[in-house]
Amino acid sequence: MNCTRLQQVLDAHIDGELDRATTGEIATHLAECAGCATLRDQRSALRQELRAHAAYFKAPAALAPALRRALAQSTDVHSDQAAKPRTAGLSWLHVTAFAAVAALVGLVSGYWLAQPLRDNPLRDPAVASHVAALAPKRQLIEIASSDRHTVKPWFQGKIDFAPPVKDLTGEGYTLLGARLDQVADKPAAAVVYQIRKHVINLFVWRATDQAPDAIATAGVRGFSVTTWATGGLRFAAVSDVDGHDLTRFAQLVSTP
Amino acid sequence: MSDTSKLSRFEAVVLVHLDAAYNLARWLTRDASGADDAVQDACLRAFRFFDSLQGPSPKAWFMAVVRNACLDWLKDQRVRGTDESYDDELHAASAVESTECTVARDSDARWVQAGIAALPREYREVLVLRELEELSYKEISAIVDVPIGTVMSRLSRGRDLLQQRLLESRERKRS
Repeated sequence: MNCTRLQQVLDAHIDGELDRATTGEIATHLAECAGCATLRDQRSALRQELRAHAAYFKAPAALAPALRRALAQSTDVHSDQAAKPRTAGLSWLHVTAFAAVAALVGLVSGYWLAQPLRDNPLRDPAVASHVAALAPKRQLIEIASSDRHTVKPWFQGKIDFAPPVKDLTGEGYTLLGARLDQVADKPAAAVVYQIRKHVINLFVWRATDQAPDAIATAGVRGFSVTTWATGGLRFAAVSDVDGHDLTRFAQLVSTP
Repeated sequence: MSDTSKLSRFEAVVLVHLDAAYNLARWLTRDASGADDAVQDACLRAFRFFDSLQGPSPKAWFMAVVRNACLDWLKDQRVRGTDESYDDELHAASAVESTECTVARDSDARWVQAGIAALPREYREVLVLRELEELSYKEISAIVDVPIGTVMSRLSRGRDLLQQRLLESRERKRS
């Protein structure tokens, strides 16, 4: 690895997009080359600045209801035309354009495809609970506190196990609070954290057996889900952050 | 499938990404009502084609539809001749002051806001998808419809431009 090559792949490296071998070569070069290390530091500083200050524009509250009305109207139109085949109204241009998009999405979303979903039937219910908790009018947090000594005792008498609650502020994960929830109809503790602008729901519930389960991250419908089991408890962390951030979160939470 | 169950499936699979969609639309159109229009348009389009949606990443698919709706909106603006030359100081200020935006009104935030808003569209969109939505290169490549190598080079170039601006603004502050 020389300086020219490093500078070509530096951004991909910072984005965590390179394979392990290249990442290793980069680390070796950065340890030896002060010039390239400075470039790396500048890029990291830029990223921090961007993530701290760039506005994340959430959809205005009125948008979702307006969309639902518009969609409901469009289904009325559809049922009027129920006799006609659905594609009748589409030009070939539409069909081809859609096919192209679908093919592309299919091609490149191998990332999500590659993740086996069958092996852990709890991922889908965990994502469903995460989505439900973020819906408007739902309460994401019943006890709001960034102090783990406030959040942890709150669960006493509400559920028959004690979920771990950690202060991970130093690692970039801010504790927001907690609530009671359900995953696949089982009562679960939901501990809510935030990294940058993204909410992480950590669901904890009683495992059916004591067998531990290793940390595994997968993508489900655009969300990252990390699952594991230890000490008779099952864990599922769900968020729309990068899978790497969620895996690291799981490692931090599961470290005694 | 009945229309009601289609609606509720659409809600669970596509509309859950409404914030991400709106954020992208807002950064692409640089206009609040433009973002509203584009997202609404995109939802109707997505809903129409929803039955034939196959594949594991509805989010990337929906974001691609949103992006196309934004490009159409921008084209419309140009045709109508309403696309005035972009004044980044003005837009940056209004973006920072807008109530839905959570940025503090300090100079750093102002700089970042104006810096991204002033980037050419092809750099701006990949940067927003990567830094704010935290999507992978693969997903960004699907949304923007370019090869992964192009995503990589656009991100690099976009960051170069921003970094240059940052250095310049710090120079100005010092002098």
